[in-house]
This record gives sequence, C-alpha cells and structure tokens, in this order.
Amino acid sequence: MVHAPVSFTLHPPLDAGLGIPVVYLVDDEDVVRDALAWLLRSRRLLSQGYASAEAFETWLAEQRAPGRSAWPQAPSCLVLDVRMPGTSGLLLFERLAERGLLPLLPVIFLTGHGDVPTAVAAVKRGAFDFVEKPFSNNALVDRVEVALQASAQALRGRKMQGALARLLAELTEREHDVLRLVIEGRPNKLIADELGISVRTVEVHRARVFEKMNVKSAVELANLLRDGGLG
Amino acid sequence: MSALTPPALLTAAELGPREGAIATGSPRPAGMKPLWRWRRAALWGALLALLGVAQTLLVALTVGYESVRAQEEVDAVATEAAADVRHELLGAIQTLQALAWNPGPQPDPLQAAAALLKARPTFKRVEWRDQNLRVTQAVDTPFRPQLFSQMPRADLGVEVELACNAARRAAAPMYSRSYFVPQAGALGLEVIDLCVPEQRAGREAGFLVGTFALAPLLEALSPSRQARRHEFSFVEGDGTRLARAGVRRGAGVYVAERVVDLPGATLQLRADSAAGRPSLIPNLATALVLGLSIALFGVVLLLARDVRRRAQVERALAEALAFRKAMEDSLSTGLRARDMQGVISYVNPAFCAMVGFAADELLPAAGLPGRPMSTPGDAQALATSQQASQYAPPYWPPEYAALYQHRQQQRLEGSGRSPSELREGFETVFMRKSGERFPVMIYEAPLVDGQGLQTGWMSAVLDLSAQRRVEEISRQQQERLQATARLATVGEMASLLSHELNQPLAAIASYASGSLNLINDPAADTPGLLKQALERIAEQAERAGRVIKSVHDFVRRREQLHETLGADALLEAVLPLARLHARKSGTRIELDLPPGAAGAASRPQRVRCDRTMVEQVLLNLARNGIQAMEVATQPADRVLTLRVRAAQPGRTTFSVIDRGPGIADEVAARLFTPFFTTRAEGMGLGLSLCRTVIEQHGGTLDYGPGPDGVGTEFRFTLATTSVAESSETGRPVSAR
Repeated sequence: MVHAPVSFTLHPPLDAGLGIPVVYLVDDEDVVRDALAWLLRSRRLLSQGYASAEAFETWLAEQRAPGRSAWPQAPSCLVLDVRMPGTSGLLLFERLAERGLLPLLPVIFLTGHGDVPTAVAAVKRGAFDFVEKPFSNNALVDRVEVALQASAQALRGRKMQGALARLLAELTEREHDVLRLVIEGRPNKLIADELGISVRTVEVHRARVFEKMNVKSAVELANLLRDGGLG
Repeated sequence: MSALTPPALLTAAELGPREGAIATGSPRPAGMKPLWRWRRAALWGALLALLGVAQTLLVALTVGYESVRAQEEVDAVATEAAADVRHELLGAIQTLQALAWNPGPQPDPLQAAAALLKARPTFKRVEWRDQNLRVTQAVDTPFRPQLFSQMPRADLGVEVELACNAARRAAAPMYSRSYFVPQAGALGLEVIDLCVPEQRAGREAGFLVGTFALAPLLEALSPSRQARRHEFSFVEGDGTRLARAGVRRGAGVYVAERVVDLPGATLQLRADSAAGRPSLIPNLATALVLGLSIALFGVVLLLARDVRRRAQVERALAEALAFRKAMEDSLSTGLRARDMQGVISYVNPAFCAMVGFAADELLPAAGLPGRPMSTPGDAQALATSQQASQYAPPYWPPEYAALYQHRQQQRLEGSGRSPSELREGFETVFMRKSGERFPVMIYEAPLVDGQGLQTGWMSAVLDLSAQRRVEEISRQQQERLQATARLATVGEMASLLSHELNQPLAAIASYASGSLNLINDPAADTPGLLKQALERIAEQAERAGRVIKSVHDFVRRREQLHETLGADALLEAVLPLARLHARKSGTRIELDLPPGAAGAASRPQRVRCDRTMVEQVLLNLARNGIQAMEVATQPADRVLTLRVRAAQPGRTTFSVIDRGPGIADEVAARLFTPFFTTRAEGMGLGLSLCRTVIEQHGGTLDYGPGPDGVGTEFRFTLATTSVAESSETGRPVSAR
C-alpha cells in the first residue's frame, strides 16, 4: 500500500550553510517505510524512501554522476533494514563503506530479532548504530537526529577543506614557501636566509599571504590550516 | 591279601574325580602330578611286593608242613618200632626166666630150650653156665648154621661175662652190650646176650644165657604200612650201624632215633624214611598254591587295568562335567528347570543373577512354599488347577501371579501354547528381588528323562531389559527428533506470524508516536495529519486482524477433517503407543469402557472429532500419567486407567487416571500455561495444546484427584453422536 507523499512544513535547516537534512529510508516493507516517514515528518525531518537497496544505489549513482557537485550537499542519514530481498542491507552498507561515504552518510540498521550479532559486527565496522525491531519510535528518531548532526559535522569539515584548498590555490609558489616557513614559526630574517631573498621581500610576501588567506596573524593562519586538515 | 585291594581301589576311585576337577579347575601347582604318580606307583609296588612275600611264605609253609609231617611220621614209626623191640626183648627175659626157674618137672632143659628156639626165631642160642661162667650146656637154633662156627665162643665171652656179673650183683636178668660175631663168607652177625641168674633153693646155681641176633629182631617188626617205607637199624652212639632191616633204603633226610632201654644195656633204634627232601614242582599242594597265586596275580593285574581305565573314564567324565559347568556358568542366558508340578528343580547362576535371588531361595528345599498366593482372582485360577501346587516362585510379580499360575496349569495340562510355540519363545515379565519388573523372553522345551518320560520343562530365559532400554532410548531419540521437528515447524510458524503481525503493529506504533509528536508540537496542518495517521492506524489494525483470521481459518479447515468414530476405537488407536511408553516403567494400562460397550448389542459411544488431534490429546495425557508414576509409585501400583463414560446427555467423558502423587498446588496454578513444564525435556506445550484442541472441539479439559483419592484424573468431554447420524442417512439428528 503506497500512499501519496505527505507534505510537511520542513524542519528549519540545522545549519544554514549546509542545506536541508535528509533521512534516506531503505526498507522493503512499504508500510513500515511510510509509517517511519510519517513519524520523521512529525519530527520535522525530511525523508526519502526506497523499497530496495538497488533502488537506493541507482539513485545514489545519479547523484554522484560525473560533472555534478559532490554528494551529499546536506546532512544525511541512512536508515537501513538488515534483511531485504535482493541486495541485503549489510551488502549495501559494505559498498557504501568502500566508497568512503560513511562519515557523511551515517547508517542506522533496523534489525529483526536474531540479527543482533550481525548488527553489532556492522557497528564495529563503522555503522553508526542499530535499532532492534520492534523499535521505540521516538528513540529511533533521536538516534537519527544524532546521526544527522554527525553528518553535518563531517559535511562542514569537507566544505571547509574545499574553501581552504581554493585559497591556497591562489598563492604563488614563493608565497607557498613563505607560508610553510611562517607556520613553522620562523622569524622573517631566518625565512629570508632560507629562501635567499631579502627580509623586505619576505615581509611583502607575508603580507600578501595573510591578505589572500584572509587572516590577520600567523596564529590565525595556523588554526585555519589545522581546521582545514592541512596543519 | 585281598583286604589290601579295596583301599587301593577306593583311593584310585576317589582321587580320580578330584584330579579331573583339578585339571579343569584352577591351574594345578607344578610337581603335583609326578608326586601323585609316585604315590600310586608306590602303592601298586607295595601291593605286588606284599603279594609276592605272602606267596613265598605260603609256599615255604606248605613245604615246611610237608617236612614236619614226614618227620612226625618217622618219629611215630620209630617210637612204635622201639616199643616193639623192647616188648620182644622183655618178653625174651620172661621166656628165659621161665626156662631157668622151672627145671623140676622139665624132663630135659635142653629139649625145652630147643623147643623155645624153634618157636622164637630171634633166639639164636641158649646156654647154661655155671657159677664160674663156664658153659655147661648149649643149644643152637635150628634155623641157621652154628653161631660160633667161625670164632669160638670163648673168644667172644667178654660181653656175656660182664652181663652175668652184673646179673649176679643185681640178682636180676641183665642184657649184655651187642657184639659182632663173624660168620662164614666174611659176613657177620651183631648179637646181644641175655644173662638170667639161676637160683636153686635161694642160692645161686648158675646162669642161663640167651643170645639174640639183632637183625632178625628188626625184621620181625610188625610190617605196618608206614614201616614198610622205612629202613630200621640199630646204631651205636657214634653212628656205627649194627644191624639193619627194611624193604627200602632210607633217604637219610627224615631220621628218628629211639633208645630201647633194656636191663643192663641200651639199644639205639634208628628209623630212616625212604621219603626224600620235599621238592617243589611235583608237590601237589605247592602247585595248587602256586597256581592260585598266579591266578591271583592275573586278577590283580586285570583289576589294576580296570581301575586304570575306570580312572581315565572318571577323569574324562569329570572334565566333561567341569566343562559343562563352566559352560553353564558362563552362559548369560538364564536356565531354569521345572518339574511337572511347576516346582523349580534347577537354576543356573545367570538366572540367579537375573532375578537377584540365590539358588537356595529359588529351589523348593529352602524356599517352599514360596510366596503364598494372595492376589484376588487366585480362586478362579486355582479352581481350574486344583491339584496344582500353590507354589509361586518369588520372581513372579504379585500382580501377575494368578495369570502365570493359570498359564503354567495350561502348560501342564498340555493345552495353552504348543511346543513349537514354546520353542519360538514368548515374552513375559519377571520381578527382581528388588521388586523391579523386567521383561524376559522364555524359550521352553520339555525335559525328558532316560526312559523317554517327560519330567518337566527346561526354560531358557533371556533378560530383555537391556534391549528394551536400547529400544526405549532410540524411541526417545526419535520422539525428541519429532518434537524438534515440530518445534521447528512451530518456530517457523511463530516467526512467520510474528513477522506478519510485526509490520502492522510497528506501523501503528509509528503513527501513534508521530501523532503524539504532532499533538505536543501543534502546527497548522496538524489536524489533517492526525486524521491521516488515524486512518493509517485503522488500516493497519485491520490488516493485523486479517492475519489473525487467517490463522483461525487454518484451524477451521482442520475441522473439515472431523469424522465420527467409536470411543473405543479412539482408545485402541492410542493403546499401542501408550503401552510402548508404559513398558519402561512396567506400568499396566487398563481400559475401562462403559458396561456393555464391548457387546455387539449396544454400540459404544460415538463421537465426532478430529481423530488425529484427539488421539494426540489422549496420548499426551497418558504419557503425563505414566511419567507421574515413574518416581514415587510402587511398581505393583503402576496402573493407568483409560476410562470412557457417557456423562451428561449427549456427551462422552474420557478420563485418564494415574496413581501418581497428584498435582502440587503451585504446579496446578500454572498447569495450562504455555511453555510451563515440570520436566527437563518438556516443551510445556502439551497440556496447553490439549486444552486448545479440546476447546476447539467444544469440550472442556479439566482434572481432579483420582476416583480412589489416589493420583490424578484428567477428563475431557466430546459431543456424542447418535448412531443414526453416523449411519447412511446423514440426516442430522439432535444429540441424545
């Protein structure tokens, strides 16, 4: 029994810069999927349902097609039934892990009784959590929210990294050298000796690096690079 | 001698079996056999030596006896001869005295003397001598030439003068010593003189001298039978023979000498038997004794051989016996022999071990009269077996004693099972000393004595309990397997059901939680969303209901399988399986059908039910009852009763009654709870399923204490169908 999509007032975005979080539901049981979607809506969470692992993978392939911006652009979470006809939830999870999507797309497993050991093993390999059926509905939603936050965090990190890379790309080769030595904490004189240029020139480069990297001090620069994963 | 033989025989006879027993029994210590052999050889040697000594002695004694007899004969002959000689010579004194003292009227003493010489041939010469011993007159015997022809009388007068002088001094007749008178032809004659003094008017007048020849004296001896076989002679002290007479010459072996005392002289008479030294072979007595001895030896030898053979046979027999005994003892099959009265006459160790009673306890000598028969129903059994002994072996379970007695009676009468059936064996139940019942297989064969008469029955008894145990274990395993399979089916079904139900329930829960979320945080579209949620909830609840209904439909479909059948058919279908369960604990199962139900006239109650399900219920209840009696109930009391009664109108009550300890209160409270069990292996579904099944049939399952206040009774009722309904018409008839 497939119902018409329910329209909801969407949850205010968790992070204005990250877009609307999406919960992906993969379960072969339409009833359960719809009910879960409805429940998520009641907590103002947007969800997309898929009847099988294959359907989700097809959709994912479209999102990650060449020429498109890196997916996901918004915090995401995957609620995955372990047992499904066709590709099992576990197999789908393995594939996602291979592509390195897990930090951006935390996976919460739905398990029937008897699947608990499988689910625990999956958690050890990087799944976000598992919820045993029959689940306490709001507890599941709580876990989904936590997972979305983790996803947002990962997304933010990725975005910051991208911005930093763009800034660094604007520096000239000489400026790069200066940047490296500045971060090492060398005074201008030593940098000049090292690079075989005059102290005056170093000062000019330094000022340009600060300007281009949009920072005011060497400390700020070091923090920026560290946060961007380059420090 | 013959007294020696029996001990020797006895020893051999009594040692024989012992030796056999030793040979087949425990290993004999080394050196025992040679010792025994030496002992027997010594015994036989002693016997033969004694026999030889005795034989030799006998022969010696016989020979000795012969000698003594011959000697005695010689002695007697000699004595007799001596007496004769003495008599003759003393007679001669009187004759001469008569001649000397009677001169008066005698016309001529010479004539008288001549007459005398004629009459007595031993007298050779009579002469008268004067006081100076000169010969005055002499008369010679007419029978022979002149005595003193070769040598004058005067030359030979010394002896006679000595005798006459002695006669004068003694004034009595005196004999002279003998002396030799040569004769013509270089022969000679030993003679003796008798000198009789002549007195006239009280004065010595002269001497009358008579001369006797010694040889004629001997020849004149009475020629008796013995005397003829002897040689007689007069000898001197130094053995010189003076005169001899006799038909034969003496052998010189048996000799007797007698002294003939005469006045003035003594003569030594010797008798010498002609019989020689006794020889062995021609002696009849000796030959007889020797023959007997040889015969005796032969007999002893035969005896020895016989004893030897007998000992061998005995040893072989003892070995065979020991072999048989070992065979009997090593048998694991119990053997039991009974006489025609059914009294046990023999049991082997295996049988004793099987029933736990010692042989003394089983054999009538010690055990009579066994256990008195006390079971009710004996009277009937005994009525048919009046002359039968009332002896019941202790291994008969008391509850079966009457039945066994009856069976035994049939056996003795020749009815009952045929011999071929007996040989194929039949199964029955015995009781150990501990009271434990155990199944046995009995093969019986008639016991026939040497005359071909049947004296009883020999039975081989096999203990089947081990086999039963194995069967029981395999049955239990099978059951467990089936239970597991059933459980798997149930589990699968439960899993399917739970999955089917989980979905709508999970959906309902989701909608409900979501609705609560909305209510807690209302927005503009909340009422619409709530409506939607409630619709979904209703939808899912309906779906869950459909799942439940489908299960119900499945049960309902089984109702299509209901059939009408007799209550007794239900019980009989369950009985073999229940008996299988009961066998392990020795429980008996009794059927209690309504009176007359078995008869053809009134049909038993007929019920309409799902046969398989109701049979399962009956079997479950029966098994519960059997297990309830396994621990606390005495084997004799382990009876499970399956009862059928027409209860309220139109209903039939089935009861399963055990004699167990009843149901404890804390158990009773949870009795019908699914998955509750008091048994380690139980699933706990039995009674709860039973009740479900019975309730599906429109009946009730309940329980209470047993009818006698002992044990527990489980009852359920089923609707009774009238006979008409089950008949061909098919027309529905209201239940009776």
